[in-house]
Amino acid sequence: MNRVHVILTSVLALAIWLAACAAPTPQVVEKTVVVEKPVEKIVEKTVVAERTVVVPPTPVPGRDALIVALARAPAALDPNDHRHREAETVIRNMYDGLVTRDTTSGVHLEIAESYRWLDEKTLEFKLRKGVKFHDGTEMKADDVVFTFERTIKPNAIEYPQPHTAARKGLIEPLTAIEKKDDYTVVMKFTAPWPPALQMIVHHQIVSKAYVEKVGTKGLIEKPMGTGPFKFVSAKTGLEEVVLERFDAYYGGAPTLAPVGKACVAKAVFRVIPETSTRVAALLAGEVDIITEVPAELVDTLKKVPGIQVKTVPGTRPLWMEMNVNQAPFNDVRVRQALNYAVDKDLLVKKVYNGLAKPLGGPLMPTNNFADPNLKPYPYDKTKALALLKEAGWVPGPDKMLVKDGKPFSFVIDTQEVTRSLAEALASMFRDIGIDATVRIWEYSVLRPKLLAGERQAFVGDWGDSAFDPVGHMEAKWHSYKEGSTYGRGNFSGYANARVDKLIRDGETENDVAKRKAIYYEAQKLIYDEAPAVFLVLPEAIEAALARVQNWQPASDSRVNLHDVCVK
Amino acid sequence: MKDHEPMCQCANVPNVTLKFGALVNWHIGSLGKPMKAIKILERVLATIPIMFAVAIVVFFFIRLTPGDPVDIMLGRGGTVSQREIEELRQQFHLDKPLEIQLWYFLTDAVRGNLGYSYIRNRPVTDLLMERLPATIELTVGSLLISLLVALPIGVLSAVRQNSMLDRLSMAGAFLGISMPGFWLGIILILFFAVRLQWLPVQGRLSYGIPLQEITGFYVLDSLLTGNWRALENSVRHLLLPSITLGLAVAAVIARVLRSSMLEVLRSDYIKLARAKGASEWDVVMKHALRNALIPTVTVVGLQVGVLLSGNMVVETVFGWPGLGRLVVEAIFNRDFPLIQGAVMLYAITFVLTNLVVDILYTYLNPKITL
Repeated sequence: MNRVHVILTSVLALAIWLAACAAPTPQVVEKTVVVEKPVEKIVEKTVVAERTVVVPPTPVPGRDALIVALARAPAALDPNDHRHREAETVIRNMYDGLVTRDTTSGVHLEIAESYRWLDEKTLEFKLRKGVKFHDGTEMKADDVVFTFERTIKPNAIEYPQPHTAARKGLIEPLTAIEKKDDYTVVMKFTAPWPPALQMIVHHQIVSKAYVEKVGTKGLIEKPMGTGPFKFVSAKTGLEEVVLERFDAYYGGAPTLAPVGKACVAKAVFRVIPETSTRVAALLAGEVDIITEVPAELVDTLKKVPGIQVKTVPGTRPLWMEMNVNQAPFNDVRVRQALNYAVDKDLLVKKVYNGLAKPLGGPLMPTNNFADPNLKPYPYDKTKALALLKEAGWVPGPDKMLVKDGKPFSFVIDTQEVTRSLAEALASMFRDIGIDATVRIWEYSVLRPKLLAGERQAFVGDWGDSAFDPVGHMEAKWHSYKEGSTYGRGNFSGYANARVDKLIRDGETENDVAKRKAIYYEAQKLIYDEAPAVFLVLPEAIEAALARVQNWQPASDSRVNLHDVCVK
Repeated sequence: MKDHEPMCQCANVPNVTLKFGALVNWHIGSLGKPMKAIKILERVLATIPIMFAVAIVVFFFIRLTPGDPVDIMLGRGGTVSQREIEELRQQFHLDKPLEIQLWYFLTDAVRGNLGYSYIRNRPVTDLLMERLPATIELTVGSLLISLLVALPIGVLSAVRQNSMLDRLSMAGAFLGISMPGFWLGIILILFFAVRLQWLPVQGRLSYGIPLQEITGFYVLDSLLTGNWRALENSVRHLLLPSITLGLAVAAVIARVLRSSMLEVLRSDYIKLARAKGASEWDVVMKHALRNALIPTVTVVGLQVGVLLSGNMVVETVFGWPGLGRLVVEAIFNRDFPLIQGAVMLYAITFVLTNLVVDILYTYLNPKITL
């Protein structure tokens, strides 16, 4: 499917041009474009004469709603029982939580009026008064307790068969929640849990009375929350969800302007899986906002009057992990050399069309605990070659590196989505005499092989939407422990006892300054030992019609329609 | 044996088969051919063991494919606990040995329960049934387009063999077969939807068009409720995907029809018909076409089977909520119950399409029996 996507995107670029040629010409722009393809050699240049003809798109006449095109249908509209980004996007327009997040990484109070840690394992929330559910009843402590109990109690969800809520994993340390009075709840955790607030963002409050009355099936079919929009209807498979403004909305987080009810009267989420079709629907004015715009189409879209494109740093940093338990990558000098051999700026420019940031280590720069002192390894071929020479790799007759008569050659494993990135890396490695080739896999087939240490190098990402090292450091850089979640994404086989200890200490350290010190030390160790080539953090890209105002894509890819207006 | 008797023996089979069996039985029975009806019913009942055999093969094959559903479900990122992984395995019985999993699957399936989708957490039968109407609607649309294009082209190019028309249409057919669906789809979208704005880009119905769903077939539902606005809108939505799929099918049908027409036109009874002074129209349409249709019907039947399985590429390009996308997603997610359910549905579809083709044979050539 991914391969199809890549082909489709290229076809779209060609087709926009073809279709444009066939039409009346409101505006003609002729120019020369230099396209650099990072395929065989990074400096392969093609000069193409391009002719762009454009008409400003306008919404289809008579449309009374703001329409957002999503790439995938939400899995299910139960706030407590899903692990799905699109589901969360739609749900959070209908439901509010105790706390919420802004478009980057800041946490703000939403339904909660205040919070305080009673001790390092006990968190108390005071609730706002007068928050109404869509059925007019007031939201109180009972609803909050019910919501979290529904989330954490085994088999609390009865439909379609009794099972434990999927979101329990996002609040695993929570053991109990109690009501103190109608507007106060107390959460108890098994151990100190520093990312608590960042994680509570992902839990939205349901009405106890409503769920008890209609059951889970009823809740999924007709969601009912305290959010800025009410549910109106949904089509089969949630291919379209229609929402309407909730006029009795309490206003949302007071620290996130504008406060008050939503601006648009009707909002619709529509599923358009194919990227090119999503772009076409925007160009035809059938939808107002589209998500997941590929970087290579940004320039084309920006040229169309009446289309706005916005970006925000994403949450999926990329690395090339190297198998540290196998030659040649069992030598730290080789791993560092490869870090010096990669021109990250060129990658950002050519592969991501300028819409990515180089990584300065194992955490993405927007993580709240990323060490700002760690800078990306500079691009330095001389240093790379010197390090490789120290490690015994010297240029042979054809300038390719050899050690003990054997050439330096390896395979970069990756998925279709990151093929061009991996190919660009391979060409950079060939540039210093390393014979690197790319192999494309389906991730679910590749992962067991990576964990078993059977492969050499892997280019891939790991999500970090909580902006906290927890959920990330232990999965990616802790040594792999089978039967636990430690190292579940550690594909380099990297194991450092000190790093392991630091990662575990950080998980339960509530003091921010101490926690920073712990993680900074861990990051520096990983940076120096370089189990991976630290690559880039791509931006999330969205586009909208000009009539859409006050719209801002969010890092955690949530589409928040509360603030959005249409002209 | 009376017509309705075999029905009672199959009280445990899933509803779909029952209904279809009853329908065919009633229809053929009303023609007063009980033998034929029994034969048809036998064939329908024979789908049950076929379905199960196919499902069991698929059961083992998908489990042999590398890739762990729980792994995929938990994704790359976010906090995950060991407790969660174990519970998910328990919930889906993935912690049990294969033969036990197969036993659960078979015992549930005979009760009409195909299990729950891992990813969507809903009954597999619900998921398949709610997507089926969209796929059938697209199949009918594509078939209509393909027949409208292929029948005249096939006949005319055979009658005027080696003429300009023949060469052009066969070149067109060649292009139709070779043209990838996603390419044609996007070109059609950009031209008719973005540039000319005559037709909608994607979906089954525009936002804001009210439609009371009765059968799930939007065109039919709008007819039934007399909702002309929805009818016009849903037909407009159906056009581009139907053309995209239909042209590829038309190309296949036109080529087969042309070659079988050429063969028939050379046979003795055509010469005889001409010698008897039958008009060219009668020769071609009555004598030649009907006989040339037999191989064509086989090909059309096969294509219908393929179309009914859903076309992932065209459904993705046009945001059409059919089976293809659902099943391809299920395969990527290793959503075992959903894949098994879909394959069983495909097995029924293929067997029944073949049956319909065979029935059509007997109509086209009375010498053929079931």
